[in-house]
Amino acid sequence: MRQIAIYGKGGIGKSTTTQNLNAGLAQMGKHIMIVGCDPKADSCRLILGGLAQQTVLDTLREEGDDIDLEKIMKSGYGDIRCVESGGPEPGVGCAGRGIITSINLLEQLGAYTDDLDYVFYDVLGDVVCGGFAMPIREGKAKEIYIVCSGEMMALYAANNICKGISKYAETGGVRLGGLICNSRKVEGEADLVEAVAKELGTQMIYFVPRDIEVQQAEIHRKTVIEHDSNSKQAEEYRTLAKRIDGNDMFVVPKPMKQERLETILMEHGLME
Amino acid sequence: MPCELKEKERMGVINPIFTCQPAGAQYVSIGIKDCIAIVHGGQGCVMFVRLWFSQHFKESFEIASSSLHEDSAVFGGTHRVEQAVDILLMRYPDVKVVPIITTCSTEIIGDDVDGAVAKLNNGLLKEKYAGREVHLIPIHTPSFQGSHVTGYDVAAEAIIKHFAKSGMIPKLNVFTGWQNPGDTHVLKHLLAAMEVPANLIFDNEEFDAPLMPEGNYVAHGSTTIEDLANTGSATATIVLNRYEGGKAAAYLQSKFHIPAVIGPSPIGIRNTDVFLQNVKKITGKAIPKSLVKERGIAIDAITDVAHMFLADKRVAIYGNPDLVIGLAEFCLDLGMKPVLLLLGDENSNYPKDPRIQELQNNVDYDMEIIMNADLWELGDRLQNQGLKLDLILGHSKGRFIAMDYHIPLVRVGFPIYDRAGYYHYATVGYEGARVLAERMANVWFNDMEYTKNKEWLLGMW
Repeated sequence: MRQIAIYGKGGIGKSTTTQNLNAGLAQMGKHIMIVGCDPKADSCRLILGGLAQQTVLDTLREEGDDIDLEKIMKSGYGDIRCVESGGPEPGVGCAGRGIITSINLLEQLGAYTDDLDYVFYDVLGDVVCGGFAMPIREGKAKEIYIVCSGEMMALYAANNICKGISKYAETGGVRLGGLICNSRKVEGEADLVEAVAKELGTQMIYFVPRDIEVQQAEIHRKTVIEHDSNSKQAEEYRTLAKRIDGNDMFVVPKPMKQERLETILMEHGLME
Repeated sequence: MPCELKEKERMGVINPIFTCQPAGAQYVSIGIKDCIAIVHGGQGCVMFVRLWFSQHFKESFEIASSSLHEDSAVFGGTHRVEQAVDILLMRYPDVKVVPIITTCSTEIIGDDVDGAVAKLNNGLLKEKYAGREVHLIPIHTPSFQGSHVTGYDVAAEAIIKHFAKSGMIPKLNVFTGWQNPGDTHVLKHLLAAMEVPANLIFDNEEFDAPLMPEGNYVAHGSTTIEDLANTGSATATIVLNRYEGGKAAAYLQSKFHIPAVIGPSPIGIRNTDVFLQNVKKITGKAIPKSLVKERGIAIDAITDVAHMFLADKRVAIYGNPDLVIGLAEFCLDLGMKPVLLLLGDENSNYPKDPRIQELQNNVDYDMEIIMNADLWELGDRLQNQGLKLDLILGHSKGRFIAMDYHIPLVRVGFPIYDRAGYYHYATVGYEGARVLAERMANVWFNDMEYTKNKEWLLGMW
């Protein structure tokens, strides 16, 4: 079982990329579980066709810890199993602890079955506190991919996340598998992301071009692969799936000092 | 149904019966030899628990704290665990087992204690303490879950998971649960009388430490690393207290296929009989004449006090669930009427507990079992709801209710700090049954004298 965590700046397209990538892996015959680790609980919308899913924490709150797994786990496209951790209302409680609680509960309930090839954790924005690093603790995800684009803030966030990863890599076995560039059609985007990846000691594992079809599929509550399996964009996601399935480059990233990151951005003409 | 299981309806807790998970984990740690636990949290998480233990045992012993401060709450505190381990190992050259017990604060901030342990194993222990046997065991016990009872259970499981090995000399595992040194002594005696090689987890008999000519003595448990490893090679596991060791037994069953017998807590004659029969079934060893005689002595003593004094006495019992249920069963056997059982936590397993179901099916008078209870549940019933009681059975925290409402309190459970030396005495086994029956009778006799309630009878008895 490969356990993979996806991180990246908020709004960069982590959930969209994760779900499309998973649809691609499912087409390859892989058995997958997605664990949404975001209080917004929207990590599985495209796989489940928009089906509103009861989150682990809502169920816990309403029914106590005596929960049936079926209640919180739903299967969607390609038999991908979907779980949403959920969390408190914005501004109250502790969302980080929520992730710890729900992953512990999933383990207790036996969600991690031996037949799974992949478990994906789709984690909210930055690694803001210890709770959001739960998916990469000892015995959990060993691989991380960071979704980014050629925009400055996305690369800032990627660099920041690398700081978190290098800390956890020191105590456990977690490694960075690469950056996934989810293109925003910025000038010289691929070159820039490649350069940043190289500086971090990793790779840009794939460049996902921007295509209106992603939005169209999303409106239909579907992944591109389910919506139009023969399209060019579907092929892009399938290639991403193959790259990740065959990836063997796992590194402890070397996060940059701010100045160095800015220098690279300037070299690629981002900061005028 | 005359016997009702329900949850306390009121919000909040007044006069708690229970404390929190790290306390239970710390109780496990004091049963292990060459072991000092580090509690990863604020100092109070150790300080109050140590006070709680030392009030009961009147002994000095050691538990460490990572002593979390504001900066660690913001920036993370695992470096304090690393430092604490180093200092502990430097200061105590004999320490081999270091459970690292988490608390509310460190669980909330998500401190990765398992990661810190991996780092220490690959770094500090290899570099600075090469060649020294050290076991660092993360134990996750956020206080906002469960109670000290679940904390005991979680810690026992973590410890057994760390050490258990197959291929050693097969013995009978006996998980004692939360007991006094006096209980451990009696359990050893019963098993020795049956000539059963048993592995008592956790053996705290030595925690009743002597004051020797050469000076004071720091109390510690006697369960060794080898004993802990041996649990994975056992012929079977008997868990005396379902909620205090049940998880560890389940682990041994799934990992090493060691059959587990759950319960009974050998409180009273009937439960001790079942315990010995279970041992006999597993090992094939006969129950010797000496134990039959011991049983006879206990029954003789019980007969002296049961129908004349104890029968029909209405009692309330509070404390650890296995203890409370065991005591209730014993009281019923004595012809007494347990009318109120207070369990200090909520556990989704209580409604499924076969012993509670048996009470629900068989009790023919009104009995309440309250989960998540506090002592106000008892006080409120006495003060406002007309509850009539003759005796209360429980630990020292109930002394003010007993005093306020003039109901004699029979001290049993943990902690007992307002009477001398109770940790010497057993509540388990035939001896425990005798001690308990006599203790209840003597407390009742005292009350007869002070309330001038047929006190003349005591001169004729």
